[in-house]
Amino acid sequence: MSYGSTIKVPFGPQHPALKEPEHFLFKIDGDIIVNVKPRIGYNHRGIEKAFERRTYIQNIYLAERICGICSDAHTTCYVQAIEDLLGVEAPPRARYIRVIVAELERIHSHSLWLGIAAHEIGFDTLFMHLWRDREAVMDILELISGNRVHYAMNTIGGVRRDIASETIPKIIGSLDFLEKRTKYYIKVLRSEPTVLKRTVDIGVLKPEDAVELCAVGPTLRASGVKNDVRRDDPYAAYDEIPFNIVTDDGCDVFSRILVRCGEILESINMIRYALDHMPSGMLRVRVPMVVKPGEAVSRVEAPRGELIHYVKSNGSTRPERYKVRSPTLANIPALCKMLIGQHVADIPIILAGIDPCFACMDRLVFVDVKTNKKKALDFESFRKIVRKRHELL
Amino acid sequence: MRREDKIAAEIREKLKEKIITVEVSRERRIFAYIKTEALKESIKFLKDMGFKHLSTITGVDVEDGIELIYHLALDGSIEFSLKLKVQKDDPRVPTITDIIPGAVLYEREVHDMFGVNFEGHPDLSPLILPEKWPRNIYPLRKKYALERLRNLIFKEEDIE
Repeated sequence: MSYGSTIKVPFGPQHPALKEPEHFLFKIDGDIIVNVKPRIGYNHRGIEKAFERRTYIQNIYLAERICGICSDAHTTCYVQAIEDLLGVEAPPRARYIRVIVAELERIHSHSLWLGIAAHEIGFDTLFMHLWRDREAVMDILELISGNRVHYAMNTIGGVRRDIASETIPKIIGSLDFLEKRTKYYIKVLRSEPTVLKRTVDIGVLKPEDAVELCAVGPTLRASGVKNDVRRDDPYAAYDEIPFNIVTDDGCDVFSRILVRCGEILESINMIRYALDHMPSGMLRVRVPMVVKPGEAVSRVEAPRGELIHYVKSNGSTRPERYKVRSPTLANIPALCKMLIGQHVADIPIILAGIDPCFACMDRLVFVDVKTNKKKALDFESFRKIVRKRHELL
Repeated sequence: MRREDKIAAEIREKLKEKIITVEVSRERRIFAYIKTEALKESIKFLKDMGFKHLSTITGVDVEDGIELIYHLALDGSIEFSLKLKVQKDDPRVPTITDIIPGAVLYEREVHDMFGVNFEGHPDLSPLILPEKWPRNIYPLRKKYALERLRNLIFKEEDIE
């Protein structure tokens, strides 16, 4: 391969495959990718700094808003970190409800991703069918929490809402529907030539590279590495609920599709088991506002992989330092490895293959300016605007 | 003896006077404080022990320096937080990308946010901050309060 004839192709920041801003600079030789340089930060909102300024209770709502797809994973991780510092544990029923909501979120996130993957390979019919069926799980989430996106179920010391017994038959009915549809999609995906041609042997990530580059979640499991925080470092009620870790040895985009489909089926079974075995009792325990000095590391298996939060407290009502590392950032080095040697036309599907969530990945420093006016909207002025609007109404 | 305590005892034996404290805070969580010069040696030792997965690197602004925390996982299970402290003016540590290639972006993130120089890192160009971000302003350091950062952004002439 001669380097003399390489050219540089910028990809993004305006939606590189997904409707989120991120920039990748590709060095290509003919049609083959020789090198890639990621440039993240376009969604940076300064959330880690914002954590230091808010109380532990306010921060639950901030954690929820790190991501719009895996919002429950972030709050679970956050409340677990604070519970660890306080030395309290959520009551058994709350821990089961956390599992149910987390698994529903996984189903919705994976269905969303499958739709996007179908769209990336130009199979829009499949995309529309998948997203229509995804509404079933969105309806369950709305039924349980009252919200489609930010469920606001977790609080420090437990959960905020119960799952009422009269809603359970409806949930079970929707799960049966989802199971039937997912099995059908697996059949379609395995036999459809369009899917196979675009995904088999595309974006290969060898198991040893996946481990070296610290990949996580379905990306890692699709390279045949059996690794899942739910089993290895159990939280909530995962140590009481039986489940299989889905892996695949194909190491390509097709394997990533199969792993996520398999995980949807596993999640459906886990929810059924959890609904069946849910203990009765309290939903939450009371916790103090002030957290004694200390530090804690909390981990959760988000739909995209291992999510880790670190908190350091200083004995006040606000954390001294809060750190978030979302799974997408962990998968970027592996993504760059997968892309090298591939065709330019395969960039979107490989990029989408890790199920990137750029909003999660870029957090820290806020740059939120109205570009034409060059004026920042701080919290106080924002509050004023909101108040004014309410007076008008 | 729990597996965590065994690991703690092993690392204490290996690093001897270079280790300041080791503590098993709860099941599957170990925190250790080491002397700065022992970083590479400790990471190598932990990797040989099975801590192959680097979850992330956290920077913390403490009064007398910047604390770096390397979160390493053993088989996805036991999370080892290896801590060390560097000076605030001209903070530098050797890179660990030669031992764990997955550290490449985490080191760049800490470099952006705290200004820690990872010596030997292949590329420390900005990862998260904009290209026009002023030099020597590290947003997650405590001395840069939100108000100060906000004002920074609007003065275009300072940036260019």
